[in-house]
Amino acid sequence: MTDRKPKNIFVAGPIAPAFIGESIGHHASKTNIGGHSIFLGQVRADMINDQPVKAIEYSTYEAMALEKMHEIREAIFSKYALTCMHVYHSLGRVGAGEISLFVFTSSAHRKAAMDACAETVERIKSELPVWGKELFDNESYQWKENK
Amino acid sequence: MKVNIILFGQLTDITGADTVTLENILDTDNLVSTLHKSYPAFIHSKYVIAVDKKVISENTPLLNNCTVALLPPFSGG
Repeated sequence: MTDRKPKNIFVAGPIAPAFIGESIGHHASKTNIGGHSIFLGQVRADMINDQPVKAIEYSTYEAMALEKMHEIREAIFSKYALTCMHVYHSLGRVGAGEISLFVFTSSAHRKAAMDACAETVERIKSELPVWGKELFDNESYQWKENK
Repeated sequence: MKVNIILFGQLTDITGADTVTLENILDTDNLVSTLHKSYPAFIHSKYVIAVDKKVISENTPLLNNCTVALLPPFSGG
């Protein structure tokens, strides 16, 4: 077992671009890192019944989501030679064009970071109990489906 | 036994609430059939059942104070 403990990944509202920049900056002292891989999920203004999606409101089963994310993190660390991994997911309202998911992996050589990032994103999408409610201008909504 | 169920996503549209309490429930099969009688819209809803945060795939006995959650398809990210 490792000493990694379940971390909170949820942030209220959109993930600020400045926060992403600062997160990159925090790794300057970790000089064993040779490559970072970053995935950013952005809310898309899909047209549904001639109405654009204005925002997505995210909700979660937090206790289960944090346990599941811990399990995913442990599995990814045992599969890839990562130096570190950071995951942030929005809860509440995120407007079209704003960032709702930030996955950031780092390793000595690029391949581990890139593969780990891609696999983590896929596992988050399919395994984390999070739901998106797509909101329209006229107060109507529909529940998002992941493709 | 009394069971408290927590609901998420589109399932909360059916009940109008994010928790539902059902009486005289012994196991998850029993829970599903009772739910279908109270809220027929659940018959056509897609969801998995988690007992104490673990998704179950077969009939599971419910103990006092356990937490049952009904989870519609995930759509995070």
